[in-house]
Amino acid sequence: MSSAELSQIAINAILLSGILALVALGFSLVWGIMNIVNLSHGAFIVVGAYLTFWLHAAFHVDPFLSIPISMVVLFALGYLIQRALINQVIRAPLLATFLLTFGLEILIVNLLNFFFKADTRSVMTAYSGAGFVIGPVRVPYIRLGALVVSLALVLALGAFLNRSRLGRAIQATGMDIDAARLTGVQVRTIYALTYGIGAALAGAAGSLLSTLVSFDPNLGGTYTERAFVICVLGGLGNVVNVIIGAVVYSVVEVFVGSRLPALSQAITFGILVLVLVVRPTGIAGKSV
Amino acid sequence: MKRTGFYSALALGLLLALPAPAPAADNTIVFGAAISITGKTAKEGEYTRDGYQFAIDRLNELGGVKVGGKSYKLALKYYDDETKPERTAQLIEKLINEDKVNLILGPYGSSPTGTAAPICERYKIPMVEANGSAESIFAKGYKYSFMILSPAKLYLRGIIDAVRAKDPGAKTVAILGENESFSKEVAQGAADYAKEKGMEVVYHELYPSNAQDVSALLTAIKGKNPAILLGSGHLQDSLLIVKQSKDLGVSPKAMGFSVGPSSPEFRENLKGSADYVFGATQWTEALRYTGDDPWKTPKAFADAFRAKHPNYKSIPYQVAESAVAVIAYQKALEKAGSIDPTKVRDALAGIDLSTYYGRVKFDARGVNIYKPMAVEQYQPNGNKYTVWPADVAEKPALYPMPAWDKR
Repeated sequence: MSSAELSQIAINAILLSGILALVALGFSLVWGIMNIVNLSHGAFIVVGAYLTFWLHAAFHVDPFLSIPISMVVLFALGYLIQRALINQVIRAPLLATFLLTFGLEILIVNLLNFFFKADTRSVMTAYSGAGFVIGPVRVPYIRLGALVVSLALVLALGAFLNRSRLGRAIQATGMDIDAARLTGVQVRTIYALTYGIGAALAGAAGSLLSTLVSFDPNLGGTYTERAFVICVLGGLGNVVNVIIGAVVYSVVEVFVGSRLPALSQAITFGILVLVLVVRPTGIAGKSV
Repeated sequence: MKRTGFYSALALGLLLALPAPAPAADNTIVFGAAISITGKTAKEGEYTRDGYQFAIDRLNELGGVKVGGKSYKLALKYYDDETKPERTAQLIEKLINEDKVNLILGPYGSSPTGTAAPICERYKIPMVEANGSAESIFAKGYKYSFMILSPAKLYLRGIIDAVRAKDPGAKTVAILGENESFSKEVAQGAADYAKEKGMEVVYHELYPSNAQDVSALLTAIKGKNPAILLGSGHLQDSLLIVKQSKDLGVSPKAMGFSVGPSSPEFRENLKGSADYVFGATQWTEALRYTGDDPWKTPKAFADAFRAKHPNYKSIPYQVAESAVAVIAYQKALEKAGSIDPTKVRDALAGIDLSTYYGRVKFDARGVNIYKPMAVEQYQPNGNKYTVWPADVAEKPALYPMPAWDKR
């Protein structure tokens, strides 16, 4: 492998890990705080992608500017879904939330199929594919922008959870629901907020992805899967873990992909199994 | 004892009284199909269904099919296989056993076709399939499955030929394919053909299905600086490869794909980045075939289809090949003079038709190796032209593709 290729691959991995961290961030939050493996996460991502596509096609809204819109819309959607549906089964066995979020995923995907058809879409802007060159390495603007936005959102979520009163209430609820309730935390509201934030982050990821890959209503499943792997690799409980998980995932996928692409998923999942056996709490997760 | 006898008699009576499974109406031949209406290939599934239905409707308008002096109407009974090959197999079984369909039309895609074929074989019901071109399906000695389209290994040949006609000096080719039966065969077929033509295959790798990032492969390819970059996957893969090639400044002299460019979505998604890209296609409406079928020429077929489906601007080849599967059945039924599945199967094995879709004839395995692949290219005026084979080309191919930063 030449040094030019090696440095390009390293940059590719860094750029990919940014977007994947954002893909997994909301999923990790919901899982960590509420113990819900949210199988509809990928569908929320796709909704964000479609919103961005629609705003761009109909009103020429720049995909980066549509990120806040996606986030607000998905926050509202997530909040309502949690309030109306998931709160009903929150104390039920894990399987109930599995089924419910799985059902939601199917519902959302089919609604998207109905409204947007199964056509493949992507958002192309004037700066799509443009980039700058440092030595042998090419850095596309969009991927760099996606990395910056992702990191900003990861840091913002970290600051929110650790610094703000509400953020601490969310963390407290995740640690001990009964103790939190005793101190006056409104668990239902906190759960709805958490789920809403998770959905909002999925929306942001969807907006960014719409500029990077082509999508149709069925794209979500593969991103739910990636989010799951990243959370298991990195461990739950801290936004930094998500970054670690995303970096490990991207490095494996990109480096293995450059020489043995046919095996890249097999090796990624192989590492997943290995981590589960050796360190079930994830690479950076705290042991319980 | 008496009682037992009574109950046995009662049971027997009930059994006899049970209605026999409803046979299809006397004068209707029902085609059964499991098609991907949802899932990864939902779009292609829609093309497939619309193609089948269009041909069935047209033949019914013309009075149906004459079999042994009797006129039959045609009908389509289909289920959604959700792009899950194992579901396809279950549905084919259900269509044959419960719905009692007469004949099977294939699903969309090689993997589902591969799971449908053994079921048809077991029940001795013929399947004419129009959307699964992996030859591996036909290496198992099935007698009841027939492939109407050019097989996978021919897919990228036309692109290599078209480029070599322009530039005999184009000597290196990089191939990346999706790790899935059809795309693998396409990639292997292209690699073999390139070597046969004295070219060097500088890169040949497979990426996993559902890949969302192929930057690693493209970075490796960039270092090899190939004259031709060929991709064999599906629409989303082709879009991803073009986008990431632009991201990474991978600029071969020609870029071509087995699947993707033929769909109108290719340009809608890529806009100007689609220009100069070659696409393999089973069929285009610009081809100059004449045939013995209700439409006779590709142009007439396309116009008639558009009149019924105004939402289609250009007609995807999946529509044409699916429709011609119904025509193959029509001719075979007429020839067999019977709707007995085995007799229809024998008639299919012997047909040799000229159609708007090109020649339809099956080799001993049931594969239509007699029709060549065509090549299309997007050109900077925003249109797509058939540029190969040369004798039916609308326009000459544009070559080389300018580097990404020089457009």
